[in-house]
Amino acid sequence: MLDVKRIRLMARMAQYEKNDIRKDMKISTYYKKDYVSLNTLITILWMTAGYGILAALLAVCFMDELMENLTITKVTYLGVGVGGGYFVLLIVYIICANVFYRGRHNRAKQRVRKYYRDLSRLGKMEVKEKKKV
Amino acid sequence: MSTLLVWREQMQRFYAKYSIFIRIGFQFCMGFLVFYQINSNIGFMKTASSTACTAGLAAICAFLPTIVMVMAATALVLLHFYTLSLPVAIVAALLFLLMYIFYFRFSSGKAWLVLLTACSFAMDVPFVLPIAAGLLGTPTCIVPAACGTLSYYVIHLVKGSSSTFKAGDGVEMVETLISFTKQTLMNQEMWVMIAAVAACTLLVYSIRTLSVDHAWKFASVGGAVAAVVIAATANVALNLHISLSPLVISGVIGVLVGLLLEVIFLSVDYARTEYLEFEDDEYHYHVKAVPKIGVTVPQKSVKHINERQNTGSIGGKNNRGDNGGQTSSSYGTGYPERPKSADEILLERSLNKELGLDGKSKK
Repeated sequence: MLDVKRIRLMARMAQYEKNDIRKDMKISTYYKKDYVSLNTLITILWMTAGYGILAALLAVCFMDELMENLTITKVTYLGVGVGGGYFVLLIVYIICANVFYRGRHNRAKQRVRKYYRDLSRLGKMEVKEKKKV
Repeated sequence: MSTLLVWREQMQRFYAKYSIFIRIGFQFCMGFLVFYQINSNIGFMKTASSTACTAGLAAICAFLPTIVMVMAATALVLLHFYTLSLPVAIVAALLFLLMYIFYFRFSSGKAWLVLLTACSFAMDVPFVLPIAAGLLGTPTCIVPAACGTLSYYVIHLVKGSSSTFKAGDGVEMVETLISFTKQTLMNQEMWVMIAAVAACTLLVYSIRTLSVDHAWKFASVGGAVAAVVIAATANVALNLHISLSPLVISGVIGVLVGLLLEVIFLSVDYARTEYLEFEDDEYHYHVKAVPKIGVTVPQKSVKHINERQNTGSIGGKNNRGDNGGQTSSSYGTGYPERPKSADEILLERSLNKELGLDGKSKK
């Protein structure tokens, strides 16, 4: 006779195995701190590249205005502005990346833990069934 | 209304039955639409803009995740831009890279929204998708929708002034680079539409999440009106050349799509709303419970009537009765037997008696 509980459990596990397990297993091999630090670092690198590209595009866009009456004071202000913008964006991104990757690690860990719990439940069910037989 | 709900139930059942094929078909259609739009608007490379290439790309992308389709569309756009001019391709590549760095690294799941937003702009219905995204999604949908709008305007700009971007050598290339960057980033119409799309999505989401009756309807209408008003106001204030009639039509279509989505995803009966109030040790609860409208799909029982077999069996029965278990030539032919006259019956009986074919003579 079919065991509805067991079928439900197996279906849930199969769905998880099909979709998220590989990604979650990879994430859960890291300690939370390591995972968050590594990904925040990668994000900072990408963000720096992105900021550089954005700054370059804006510089190209406003080339004429920048070159007009170019003085050392103007260059200094510009440098401070670009540096300040980068610093602000960096802080925002570090905070956001920290929150984002921390949450992702927590969720992955929870899913993996649940999967293992389901596995042990399934094992117990099978043992019970064998005993009955 | 009840007919619509019955259709919804039937559609759900149909989708549950053939979901794999429907998803692949839908993805193929989306891919074909995207690649066709790109090739028809900026088909500078003849080999890449052929129908075979369009269909082939769509067919490949139908079986892969949507992020692959986005990457294929990006590559196709860059290929066409490169054929036209290297500086244009470089600037476009940098813009696409920025989109990836600042958003898609974190959330690639909504990449399809970029494609559909760009397509909806190309088809002159720009406000349909923001309304749908506000109703079914979250405020983060603003980012892919804005990226889609930006992509559309980059393509639109190149399409409109492709002759001016044809780069020569050295100085001309630099001039093209500066000119294209300036025109892309200083495109006021683009920023206005991005603002309208963002405001529309946010407003729809905010109204939809309120606990008022008919929130989805108000959200659709409010979002459409806000988007049209923002676009029209900016059009007048900044002296842009945005055609208003497509915007209004797009708003109306957006509202209709919103109503349809409400029927599909949230069919509730506000007339039977119940307000409950209870408490536990820590909280006092005020609950508003709106019952769903449930319909049962009428079960059609199909009775297969095979005329051929039935008539045959009737004929057979008659023959067996008449001829004492023998089958006549008309048995099973499907044609009704001609009624016999009294003379024919008597003649048949006498012949059977003489030849010993009837039951009595056998005994």
